[in-house]
Amino acid sequence: MVLVIGGSNQGKTDFVINKFGKESIFDELHFFVRKKMDEGYTEEKILEEIREKIKGGSTVLIADEIGNGVVPMDSTDRLWREVTGRILIKLAAEATEVYRVVCGIGQRIK
Amino acid sequence: MITFIYGGSSSGKSAFAESLLSGLDDEKKYYLATMDAYDSESILRIERHKKAREGKGFCTIECPCDIYKAGSQLPVSEGSAVLLECMSNLLANEMFRDGEIMEADRCVDKIIKDFENLMAYVRDMIIVSNNIFEDGNIYDDGTRAYMAALGLINRRLAAISDEVYEVVVGIPVRIK
Repeated sequence: MVLVIGGSNQGKTDFVINKFGKESIFDELHFFVRKKMDEGYTEEKILEEIREKIKGGSTVLIADEIGNGVVPMDSTDRLWREVTGRILIKLAAEATEVYRVVCGIGQRIK
Repeated sequence: MITFIYGGSSSGKSAFAESLLSGLDDEKKYYLATMDAYDSESILRIERHKKAREGKGFCTIECPCDIYKAGSQLPVSEGSAVLLECMSNLLANEMFRDGEIMEADRCVDKIIKDFENLMAYVRDMIIVSNNIFEDGNIYDDGTRAYMAALGLINRRLAAISDEVYEVVVGIPVRIK
């Protein structure tokens, strides 16, 4: 599994298509986390779901870095970025490669 | 030696900072905690961090303000290793102290001076600070002053640090 992260509008998806092709992309993982949280899923359960979805294949996961801002006023927003952050740390530890995309340029950090 | 660790919320800064502290050969290792427990969420965060530090042999000093005062609790002779976590809480506690907003430059000078005084007792310092700068939103005056102050503190501390890391999804990326 490959993990690609970066700010919004940085060209992550284009970077992935160019480098890995269009197959097996799991894009906007941060929104998936939010959707599952809104449905009442716990952090562990969400991670389990993600692992189930990427099982057995060579998936490229793409997520926005949403933790690099001022602490949000809304408690659900605060929890969202924390849960997303912790899930991404676990997925990055399991990934064979991790890239951070800035201005369309992917930098390999693992 | 000073190590500066920077990163977003839940990016794995603490785990990395603690692993660095564990790897140091200083005889005494201290965890300087600057977070004030003011609501259930912060208590939960503090508990989470406490649990992660369990069994690592760090001595915790609670110090939400005036970090130079922690110097008196450190042994003078051999010098110690200190993990200061984190700068963003310390700044908030200093800046919004007594229900007033302290002017950003004055607040930064105060914190840097406190830090320098504390360093007289410290051999190895690890500082954790936050990236709060990339959401593109426009905030009220108080928040903007806080952001300006944190940005300035980060720059000044990174300038005097031997090593600077940005932690991204748990991966430390060395930037100095």
